Amino acid sequence: MNAVQTFKLTKRFNGLVAVNGVDLEIKKGELFSLLGPNGAGKTTTIRMLCCLLKPTKGTASVLGYDVVKTPFAVKKLIGVSPQDTILSERLNCWENLALIGKVHGLSSDEVKGRSKELLETMGLMERSKDQVRKFSGGMKRRLSIAMALVSDPQVLFLDEPTLGLDPQARRAIWEYIAELKGKKTILLTTHYMEEADFLSERIGIIDEGKVVALGTAQELKTNLLEMRSMVVSTENLTAEVIADLRSKYSRLEIVKGRLRISHKDLDFKEIVDYLHSRGVTVYSAALEQPTLEDVFIQITGKRLRD
Amino acid sequence: MKFWEIGKRNLREIYRNPVLLGFLLGMPLAFMLVFCSAFGGEQASPIAMSVVDEDHSQTSSAFIQCLGSIEAIELNEPIYSEKSQAREELEDGRISFYLFIPSGFEEATQAQQTVNLELAYKAADPLIGLQVKPIIEAVGAEFLGMAPPLNVELKGTESKIKNETVNFFAPGIAVFGLMILISTAAEIIAGDREKGFLARMFTTPARPSDFILGYSLPFIPVLIVSTLIYLGVGMALGLTVVGNLGHAFLIFFLIGLCSIGIGMIVGSLIKSESQAGVSWIFIVPMAMISGAWFSVEGMPSAVKSVAGALPFIHAIDGSRAVINGSSLSAIMPDLYWLVGWAVVLFVTGIVLFRRTMVS
Repeated sequence: MNAVQTFKLTKRFNGLVAVNGVDLEIKKGELFSLLGPNGAGKTTTIRMLCCLLKPTKGTASVLGYDVVKTPFAVKKLIGVSPQDTILSERLNCWENLALIGKVHGLSSDEVKGRSKELLETMGLMERSKDQVRKFSGGMKRRLSIAMALVSDPQVLFLDEPTLGLDPQARRAIWEYIAELKGKKTILLTTHYMEEADFLSERIGIIDEGKVVALGTAQELKTNLLEMRSMVVSTENLTAEVIADLRSKYSRLEIVKGRLRISHKDLDFKEIVDYLHSRGVTVYSAALEQPTLEDVFIQITGKRLRD
Repeated sequence: MKFWEIGKRNLREIYRNPVLLGFLLGMPLAFMLVFCSAFGGEQASPIAMSVVDEDHSQTSSAFIQCLGSIEAIELNEPIYSEKSQAREELEDGRISFYLFIPSGFEEATQAQQTVNLELAYKAADPLIGLQVKPIIEAVGAEFLGMAPPLNVELKGTESKIKNETVNFFAPGIAVFGLMILISTAAEIIAGDREKGFLARMFTTPARPSDFILGYSLPFIPVLIVSTLIYLGVGMALGLTVVGNLGHAFLIFFLIGLCSIGIGMIVGSLIKSESQAGVSWIFIVPMAMISGAWFSVEGMPSAVKSVAGALPFIHAIDGSRAVINGSSLSAIMPDLYWLVGWAVVLFVTGIVLFRRTMVS
C-alpha cells in the first residue's frame, strides 16, 4: 500500500482548474517533492490530501484511507506544516506543541517528551518559554515544522517549508528535513529547485495543475534532457555579442557575472572559438550539469519563478 | 477532551491580550458606572419640580407640602397659580416639567371621586415623566389613601426599591452589555479563520463540537465576571435586589450563553475579522425590541411576536421580576425559553461549523 495515492485528482474553483487530474503514488518512507511555480496547484493538492478541500473529481487516499469518506481517520495519521507559518502567537513553544499533540490524543507525558526532543532538535529550547510572536521568521518556521511532527505522524505534509527565509535559515531547515528521510513519508511542495534537488528522493514537476514530469532529480535531468550547459568567465563582453549568442542558442543568462549557455548538442569548442574571434577574453569555460530549472524550462517553456 | 485543549489555547490568547481583556471587562464596568452614576445612588440630585395649584385649597397645599418633603423631589418656587405661567416657563426651557393640580381637587378627594392630575413635560424629554410618575403616584397613594388616576400600574414590591429607574433599566443594561459577547466571540473565530489558524487545526482530528465548545470556553469566565460587575456595581450604586441574587445571576448567565452561541453562529458564517461588525445588524434591533429601554407592549403585534420569540426579552423580564422580588417558579417560562435557546444556538453553531471545515 502506498502512503499517499491520488487518482485523477481534480479541483475546480468557479470554473478555474487549479488541479487537473493528478496521479501520484508516494511510497511509505519516501520524501517526495512537488516542484512548481506559484499557482501551479501544489498547495491545492496538499489541501485536498489534508481533508481541507473536497476534490471536484478523482480520489485521494492516505495510508489507504479515503480523504473524503474517512477524513478523521486521515487526520489522525498526518502532520501538516502549512505554507503560512501559523502559530498561536501569544502561546510559547511548549504550549503550541501541547495544543497539537493533545488534540491528536497524546498524554501530557508523551507531549512533554516529544516536545523536549523536538525543541532540542530544532534549536528552540533556549527561547521555548517566550511567546512566539517575538520570534524571527526562521524560528517560527522551525516551530511550525515541530508542530507538524509532535504527534509522531506517519505522513508529513510540508507546504513550502522554507518560503521567504534567508539562505542560512533555509539550509538549517533542509538539514532537519533530511534527518527525517526514511523515518516518515514526506510530501513537500516547493518552488525552489535547489530544495527539491537537495532533499527529494523523487520529484513531481507540476505546472498549471498537471504533473508534467516525474522521477528522481537525476532521472529528470538525464532522461528528459538532451540539453547541455556551459559556463564561461569573460571580459569585454559586448551587448552585440550577447544578442548574437542569444539568437543562436536556446537559453542564455548571466549568472554572477558569468555567461551561462544551454543548448541541445552544445559545442563547447565552437562557442569558445566564436568568443575569441569577437575579441572577448575567455578566462575559463566549463561544462555544467543541467539543473532542475533547465528541466522545467524545457518541459513548460517558462521559468520556475515566473 | 480536545475541546478543553482548544479552549485552553483560546483562554491564553485572550487573557494574554491586555487590550482585548480590558475591553471585555472594562466595558461592563464603564457601562454600569456611567449609568448608575447618572440615575442611581443615594447621591443622586433631587428632581426639581414645578407645581401649578389652581385649587388654592388646604388639601392641595398639604399635598404640595407632602411632595416637597420627599427626598427625591425639590419643589421650585414659586408655586404657580395659573397654568399658563408654568406653560410659558416650560416652553422657554426654564423648567423641565410641572405638576398641574386643577381646581376641584379638594372636593374630589373629599368626595372620593377621580382626581385628575396632569404631568406636563416636553415631548422631547419623556424620561422625566417616567421617573416622576411613580413618585407622584406613591405620594398620592400615601396622602390620599388612594392612587391618583395616572394610569400606571404599580406592583407589590416597589416600596422596598430605593430607585425605580435603576431597577427598571439595570437588567436591560446588563443584558445589552452581555450581547457584546456576540460580536467579540464572532470576531475571535473569524480572526483565527482569516489567519489560517483554523485551517491548521482542521488538519487535526478535532471535531466541530470541540471547536464550538473550545471557542466558547474562554468566554465563560468573562461572562461570570461581567455579570458580577453588572450586579455588584449596580447594587453599590442604587440597584435594590429584593428577590434572590443567585436567580438573577442564573438568568444573566443563561442570556450570556445565548449571546456566545449567537457569536459562534456568526463566527461560523463570516470569513474575516472585519466582517464581525455584521453582528451589530442583529444586536441593535434585538436590543431595541428586548424591552431594555422601552416596553414592547405598545409595539405592533408582529414585532411583539418576534420579541417574544427571542431570548432577550425573557432575560430582561425574568431578571427584572426576580430582582424586584418574584420567585423562581414565577419566571419558569422565561427560564425555559433561555435554556431552550442556549441549546438550539449551540447545536446550530456546531452544524454550521462542520460545514466550514471542508470547502
